[in-house]
Amino acid sequence: MLGNNSAHKPLIRICGLRKIYREGDQHHIVLDGITEEFYGGEFVCLHGKSGSGKSTLLNLIAGIDAPSDGDILIQTPDGEIALNRLTERERTLFRRDHIGFVFQFFNLIPTLTVIENVTLPLNLMGRRDAHKSAASLLDAVGLGARTDTYPDKLSGGEQQRVAIARALVHNPRFLLADEPTGNLDAETGESVLSLLLRLSRVADKTLVMATHATEIAEQADRVFHMDGGKLNLHKG
Amino acid sequence: MRHLRTLLRLAWGGAWRRPLQSLFFIVGVSIGVAMIIAIDLANSSANRAFTISTDAVVGRATHQIVGGPNGVDESVYLQIRRELGYRKSAPIVEGYVKVKSLGGQPMRLLGVDSFAERPFREELGTAKIAGLNQKSFSTFIAEPNTVLIGANVSDEYRIAIGESLEIQVGSYHHKLRIVDVIASEDRRIRRSLKDLLVTDIATAQEVFAKIGKLDRIDLILPDDPSNSEALERIESVLPPGARIENPDARRGAVIEMTKAFRLNLTALSLLALVVGMFLIYNTVSFSVIQRRPVIGRLRAIGMTRREVFAMILAEATVLGIAGALLGVGLGIALSRGAIGMVTTSINDLFFISNVRELDISLPTLLKGGLFGIAAAAIGALIPAYEATRVSPVSTLQRSAIESRTRRSLRWISVAGVAALVFGAGTLLPEWHLGLTFLGVLAVLVGMALLTPVFMRGFATLAGTRWLRQKLSILVNMAVRDIDRALSRTSTAVAALMIAVSVIVGVSVMIGSFRMTVERWLTDLLGADIFVSPPAIANSQMAARLDPYALKLFETFPGISQVATARSVEVDAKGMGRITLSAITLDIAGDKRHYKSAVGDHAETWDAFQAGGVIVNEPLANRYKRSLGDTIALLTDKGEIPFEIVGVAYDYDVRPGVMMSDAVYRSYWDDPHLSSAALFVQPGVDVDEKIGELKSALAGKLDLIIRSNRALRANALGVFDRTFSIFVALQMLAAVVAFIGVLSALMSLQLERTREIGTLRSIGITRGQLSRLTFLETGLMGAIAGLIAMPTGLVLATILIYIINLRSFGWTLQMQLQPSQFTLAFVVALISALLASIYPARRMGQMQPADVLRTE
Repeated sequence: MLGNNSAHKPLIRICGLRKIYREGDQHHIVLDGITEEFYGGEFVCLHGKSGSGKSTLLNLIAGIDAPSDGDILIQTPDGEIALNRLTERERTLFRRDHIGFVFQFFNLIPTLTVIENVTLPLNLMGRRDAHKSAASLLDAVGLGARTDTYPDKLSGGEQQRVAIARALVHNPRFLLADEPTGNLDAETGESVLSLLLRLSRVADKTLVMATHATEIAEQADRVFHMDGGKLNLHKG
Repeated sequence: MRHLRTLLRLAWGGAWRRPLQSLFFIVGVSIGVAMIIAIDLANSSANRAFTISTDAVVGRATHQIVGGPNGVDESVYLQIRRELGYRKSAPIVEGYVKVKSLGGQPMRLLGVDSFAERPFREELGTAKIAGLNQKSFSTFIAEPNTVLIGANVSDEYRIAIGESLEIQVGSYHHKLRIVDVIASEDRRIRRSLKDLLVTDIATAQEVFAKIGKLDRIDLILPDDPSNSEALERIESVLPPGARIENPDARRGAVIEMTKAFRLNLTALSLLALVVGMFLIYNTVSFSVIQRRPVIGRLRAIGMTRREVFAMILAEATVLGIAGALLGVGLGIALSRGAIGMVTTSINDLFFISNVRELDISLPTLLKGGLFGIAAAAIGALIPAYEATRVSPVSTLQRSAIESRTRRSLRWISVAGVAALVFGAGTLLPEWHLGLTFLGVLAVLVGMALLTPVFMRGFATLAGTRWLRQKLSILVNMAVRDIDRALSRTSTAVAALMIAVSVIVGVSVMIGSFRMTVERWLTDLLGADIFVSPPAIANSQMAARLDPYALKLFETFPGISQVATARSVEVDAKGMGRITLSAITLDIAGDKRHYKSAVGDHAETWDAFQAGGVIVNEPLANRYKRSLGDTIALLTDKGEIPFEIVGVAYDYDVRPGVMMSDAVYRSYWDDPHLSSAALFVQPGVDVDEKIGELKSALAGKLDLIIRSNRALRANALGVFDRTFSIFVALQMLAAVVAFIGVLSALMSLQLERTREIGTLRSIGITRGQLSRLTFLETGLMGAIAGLIAMPTGLVLATILIYIINLRSFGWTLQMQLQPSQFTLAFVVALISALLASIYPARRMGQMQPADVLRTE
């Protein structure tokens, strides 16, 4: 896989990325000068124990957090952009257009029905075709019959499937998943994961997933181990 | 409680973790407490000022002989002292004067007989008169127009012995020379001396034009069996118009007059605390919801339900105490403003009250503080109970609380309807005014309890598939966010609704009242020009109108007719002092509106001239008198019953009676006039005529001459001043409601941080997030405004047709103006939107990564 992708231009380039949290006088280095490239259509797994910086890296790539130092360069049809140099609003709009995010705790909006949760990114973009796209995605995740249900009536696995549909509905360039099975039992987790992988592969999305489950890593194109703020390639 | 310290530490920790919400809680309680204390202190200071100044001049008198409007003849005093041998008797002539050199303030001029004073007012220094150095004493006795002033007044105004004070009584000016100062060690006496001038009785008689007359004769009668015998002996020599009365009863009756006014103020002062209780409920509710995992853990490690309950209650009580302490300080500060407003109203409406000092009484402060702490504890009861339901194994879900709220919605609504029924049941029968206010509170609480069901209805309507599809996603989210957190949002909406409905209710009442009074004045003031001597306060009975003025008016070119009035206070059996107006002509003519009368205007006027009286509505309502009943008045010829031939609409706070001038003169030995009303000939310019009259009187007589328009404006000025304090109070209640909404919004946003983080991570912009917040709060404000309109209307109806009628005996016509309702809606909307600015800003500033990480 990597061999194939390496022929392409990288979709995401991370250069000397640092993230430092300050706690009083203490400096806590979470990411310590990471440099890496991610390619279109690949499934990258970030592996590591809790607190190793997996979620932080995902947040930085999504633009919902800002790095202390370094660059995150994203290839778009209009050229390469440095995410960390965008204004807050530009980053939000970038996220809205190009990123799908799947969280460990599903993070559905409790006041919206299943279909409304899925259409939300499109609605925020002002797209008119929201309902149709969402309905077909919900069919794809097997929840076509639950469109008017509220999240609190769904099981954890169902909620995560809605979250996957929401992450894909606006056809983002890449998907970020932060422990997407961390809150599910093994069986449900497996089915959700295979759904996520299937859909991302079908749509040819880049999937960057943070997890500490080793069995997931087996299915990834590349696996990085995170430790001491560094990213070490394990597989690929 | 064994673990009180631990519980308090936990409670304090809970309050400390949410500093802004805790601050709102404290501020809400403190404003409520401050309003109660401010009004209470203002009321009690005004009463105390009156009592102290009255006590000082009453001295040790056990009884007083008083007469009709023209006083008691001097001969009565001589008879009692010389013939009956009651040496402990003292003649008094007194009244209020305006003293130019003392800042134009009203001072009580007490005219005493130095030789008779010793047993009565020794501490006041009047007895000292006899002990003054020989020169001063002879001057005081022998020289007319001499006066004693308090040493503190002398110091304050830097006026020394030998200087003169220029005083004014009605149209007349006098100069009184200071011959000595009175000092006292006693604080009360020093206070009473601040508005007291002491003069010789002969000077007072001249100043007040009461030559040969006394205002009263003070007596000290032994408190033993001989007392009743003495009373009988004295009564036997009294002329028909005089009687003996108890000074305490008289003072009590005067203070009683202001009771309804004070009660209305007190009721409104409680409003902020009632609104504040919603804020308290909300804050504690949120605190419980936010801490449910902690509570669950505490339960798991062995904390009992009772201890959880105590912990939450302790948290509210700790904050309540902080709020109460702050409120006491704020109340004292506010009372300085309130006292001015209350005193102005008392001076305008009831009697002259010269409040110079704020009486900070400990019981008042304690009462206000305890009210605040109790409100905090009561507001926390339900959330504290909720906290006890948190299970140690699985912490209670937020949604479970909401589900329970929804399940109990039916019962909350039933309780709301029950409160409305209870309110109606308390309001309809004419019980004590305090109970009537309880009824008003019940109605407000009833509407507040119905607020969640109204909001559910609104959400259901907006949630219909058709409407859902029509509305934008942000509107849908806003509607559902409000609905989802109904237990909290409905409390905020209810608090805002109550504050706004009070604004609607009070403004409709004031608007209706003002319009009613304006129309009434327009009809009543039928003459073109009104003349009266200058009065110290609006409440003061008009002083004597010089006969020269009347002669001038009767022959003045361009004046077609002159009507006169004599306004006095008389004793009415079973009613105490009432006002009496003796008129030569009904200037209102056929425009006088009667609630009931013996016939049309002409027939009623005939019956009036034949000896009947027209009573005002406050008298008829308060003393349950109607057409055909009689009212017994103490005349100079004894007690005479007068038939009521009409009950007229009137908006005076005092019960009053009107009789024909001729009838009055036949029963009272009173040659004086109080005011005149002039009609100009057709085509004569009123303002020009007023100018001519003023020129004609310039330098001769000091009179207030004004057009009916100016008189009406003056009356409406009094009206507006009176209601300014009510408006101020309702505004403060609105401030508390605003804080309530702000606090609720802040808490709602805190509760939704994860959701906000998610929304931000999937691409909602700050602008969209702000729009969502504004939509939510705007909707909450709009709902509050919508419910406040009917509630305000109900409140206005109660205020107009029940409270005002029972408090003051006035019939008002309700005037509804769409603008009042629109304004209320806008106020609710804007308050809610303003309250959302800060939470919206904070939400926008949240870093999605931080939010998602901390959650």
